[in-house]
Amino acid sequence: MALVTYVRHDGTRHEVDVPVGDTIMQGAINNMVDGIVAECGGGLACATCHCYVDEAWADKAGQPSATESEMLEAAASERKPTSRLSCQINVTDELNGIVVYLPETQF
Amino acid sequence: MASSAPVTGEIKIPPHVPPELVRKLGITESAEFLAAPHKFMAALHQNCPPIVYSYGDHSPPAWNLLKYDDAYFVLRHPEIFTAEGSGPFPRDPDDYWKIIPLEIEPPEHRKYRALVDPLVSPKAVLALEGSIRRLANELIDSFIGKGGCDFAKEFGRPLPVGVFLDIMALPRDMMDEFVRWAMGLLHAQDKVIAAQVMGEVTQYLNKVIAEKKAQPDAGLVSAIVNGRPGGEEMSARETFGFLFFVWIAGLDTVFATLNHIFLWLAKNPDRRQEIIDTPDNINNVVEELLRVFTVTFSGRTLRQDYELRGVKMKKGDKLTSILPACNYDPEIFPNPEEVNFHRPRKPVLTFAGGAHSCLGAHLARMETKICIQEFLRRIPDFQVKPGTRIEYWPGGVVGPKEVPLVW
Repeated sequence: MALVTYVRHDGTRHEVDVPVGDTIMQGAINNMVDGIVAECGGGLACATCHCYVDEAWADKAGQPSATESEMLEAAASERKPTSRLSCQINVTDELNGIVVYLPETQF
Repeated sequence: MASSAPVTGEIKIPPHVPPELVRKLGITESAEFLAAPHKFMAALHQNCPPIVYSYGDHSPPAWNLLKYDDAYFVLRHPEIFTAEGSGPFPRDPDDYWKIIPLEIEPPEHRKYRALVDPLVSPKAVLALEGSIRRLANELIDSFIGKGGCDFAKEFGRPLPVGVFLDIMALPRDMMDEFVRWAMGLLHAQDKVIAAQVMGEVTQYLNKVIAEKKAQPDAGLVSAIVNGRPGGEEMSARETFGFLFFVWIAGLDTVFATLNHIFLWLAKNPDRRQEIIDTPDNINNVVEELLRVFTVTFSGRTLRQDYELRGVKMKKGDKLTSILPACNYDPEIFPNPEEVNFHRPRKPVLTFAGGAHSCLGAHLARMETKICIQEFLRRIPDFQVKPGTRIEYWPGGVVGPKEVPLVW
């Protein structure tokens, strides 16, 4: 398990234990965290699980792939330097404690 | 989409289904539904338990889910609720083909979606914006001087089917034939017609498969027939099942949606003006109209015994998420029948969700947006032709048969 903190756009914080191997997106969906839609279910086909990784965690979370980067260009909320699609971040022991901020809208 | 084949023989209610939950709701077929389908959907939340076991003359028995949260959960948990075998089209058990990618579950599913997703990704759809806008204006040119049109026939149908033919890289002169076939399969509610049309469609798609194998191009048909999911060649049946599903999915849904929306616009001049006056809010307008005019359903089969909202279901039971009703769930969308373009954003279930979420969702949103923008720009003031009685199609895609407009 790794502790993931989701901070919604209105400031609400959700601290969730997410099994290692799941994605940040799955952690939100399985715990009914509002703010991640994941319309395509993690297929890298929709850009509705957009999140901003806390800067302190951005290196550990890694860089988006070319396909992910292209998809982020079409996200509904502004793309920022630490923007990621949360379905593409696998939870590892290294990410225990990670904080992600959720955008105002996903679609 | 609900099946259009008649249910024959005696309906057997399994012993684990409590008799008080058995209903014949009449979705897609009863007189009450066909009089005003979305009003009917909204009313289900007042007069029906949230989960019932329902069947109809054309729909086999299944658990019907009316609550947003239930559908949201079911659609996102394919390990419990599988889409395998849930496709609504009758197939010969001796020559069975899967409806792909719907009837393939993760992780295999992704290999198939990966072949077609890039052609309808948000970025790919953005690149189509200019050509969709052009087609919309060509169509408007053809009737604007007449002072009226049959919207369904002259705009609602040719716009999405034309765009789709372009994406498929198939000739636009196939449009009338495609429309006739779609009607036969989705709305005839007649086994003989459905079987005959299925024969014609099969013959045509097999011809197209051979052509695109011989001469590949950048279109969607070619991406399917020459695609190698996970590097493996598809069997002829797989290729056919994939192409058939994408083909049928592109023919009727945006059509039905546009017809609902323009019927509503014609009856609500103040709301038309609101849309014209707030161009920056167009994405919210589209999302809200897609919520209130949802046209499809989503079927699943239980992989295991499961209890949902206190209802005990058994492995093998069928479920249908009544997506148009879920989008009227008053717990999620307060005052659900009010069309409110400033509603707090909640994801709509119009395109289902999870791994099997609609492949064409981005395209559908873009088409809907462009149609509203261009039509209102060219013809800001219009109404339903006086004396018209609106009738709705029975069957798995909810929509009006004709939308005669005058201006």
